Amino acid sequence: MKTTYFILLISFAGLSVRAQNIIVSKNASVSFFSSTVVEDIEGKSSTANSALDLKTGKIIFKVMNTSFQFKKKLMQEHFNENYMESNTYPFSEFKGKIIDPADFSKDGNYTVSVEGTLNIHGVIKTCQSKVNLVIDKGIISAKSVFRIKIADYNIKIPSIVFKNIAESVEVRVSAIYQPKTI
Amino acid sequence: MRLTPLYLKILLLSLFATITLSSFGQDDLEKALSTVPSPGHQKVSATFKSTKLINGHTNETIYKNELEFKVDHRFGDIAGSQGGIKQFFGLDNSTDIRIGFEYGISDRLSIGLARAKGATNVQQLYEGSIKYRLLEQTTDDYIPVALTLFGSNTIAAVHASEDPASAAAYHSFKDRMNYVTQLIIARKFTEGISFTLTPSYIHRNLTAFRDQNDLFALGAGARAKISKRMAVVVDYFIPFRNSADKAYLEGVNGTKFYNPLGVGLEMETGGHIFHLNFTNAAAIEEMQFIPQTTSSWLKGQYRWGFSISRRFSFNKK
Repeated sequence: MKTTYFILLISFAGLSVRAQNIIVSKNASVSFFSSTVVEDIEGKSSTANSALDLKTGKIIFKVMNTSFQFKKKLMQEHFNENYMESNTYPFSEFKGKIIDPADFSKDGNYTVSVEGTLNIHGVIKTCQSKVNLVIDKGIISAKSVFRIKIADYNIKIPSIVFKNIAESVEVRVSAIYQPKTI
Repeated sequence: MRLTPLYLKILLLSLFATITLSSFGQDDLEKALSTVPSPGHQKVSATFKSTKLINGHTNETIYKNELEFKVDHRFGDIAGSQGGIKQFFGLDNSTDIRIGFEYGISDRLSIGLARAKGATNVQQLYEGSIKYRLLEQTTDDYIPVALTLFGSNTIAAVHASEDPASAAAYHSFKDRMNYVTQLIIARKFTEGISFTLTPSYIHRNLTAFRDQNDLFALGAGARAKISKRMAVVVDYFIPFRNSADKAYLEGVNGTKFYNPLGVGLEMETGGHIFHLNFTNAAAIEEMQFIPQTTSSWLKGQYRWGFSISRRFSFNKK
């Protein structure tokens, strides 16, 4: 009996040690803008997930492609069916590392560089961006804006709608991480 | 209480696992994300690209605040006694033309208004329709099929016929009304293959002498994508006719009834959808092509048809 408790205790202790330096955001937002003379297109998801390892500076962002909302519903359908092929590639993901880690224990406003790989539409590309980190009373929030070229990710735009969709789109990500409870 | 060795093993193993896991940073992050619950039952989108296959409806409706403008056209017989080079393979004639609007009140409910020429002597048709998505298929098969209800009332504006046996021998305004009710059962099997099954009920307030006022029919349809933006579409309807009345009508007119079959090519270009199709049905409205198709594929009485649709969005944000 005592042994059981002891083992359980140790395994939980192990768990908490493992998780202590990782903070998670379950409702991070990812949006993108394509702007042309003909049409502005915006897709927005507020159900993206992100995790940040405070010790190593490693960061991950994951968004379900079908969670992007558009002003025009038909556009949303086309986005999933014709461009992202969300059935085959359900998620878009960024995996990377903060190069110049900030001191996460101190409140303040930091701009750091993040480097990593972006996986969209089954194509993995390296990606680098500046990230704005705000630490306020221990709550960490991150924001970043970068541009990606649609053609880089093997997403083909048919000539008939070529004028409606920009060659490169601006991507905005932001996350507020839940503070550690343990 | 004594610990069984197996229990102990599992505990030790999980302890070991937690320790080993903590040494892999990135996997750890992924693990942290995997604890986030996935968002419930996802709806299957775009079972079909269009609200209609060729003759029959699909389960699709128009999204909220969007308007679809659609033109359908059916030419004359390509071959047979009415076709051939003299009629330029049917292109000199048009058996039916339909111009329609459909508007999405919500993502589930749309209403339509259309005008069609009408292929029989019941002509100058005005159709008001309503389409409602009862159920939507989910990707995890929690709901395996989509169900959509379609209802329409088609009013014939043609001048009343003097012939009392005619389907257009109207006495009152009520006689001009024709109702169609359909339950469209649809399933998207793979990204490229979708099917429909459509039990239908048609009620015509006035018909030709001994024709049926009430008729049940079963429709079936399919779409198979051949590229990202192109698909082959097929649909077929079987009307369940009263055999005595069918024999009588066929005897009087010297024509036979056939089941409407359509095959076509669907092309989608972001907002526009084009259909090129071939069908033996001369009419476009349900209340006509289901009970009144008297042309046969085997006699060369099939025609070229097309439809063009364009969607407009009135969403402001």
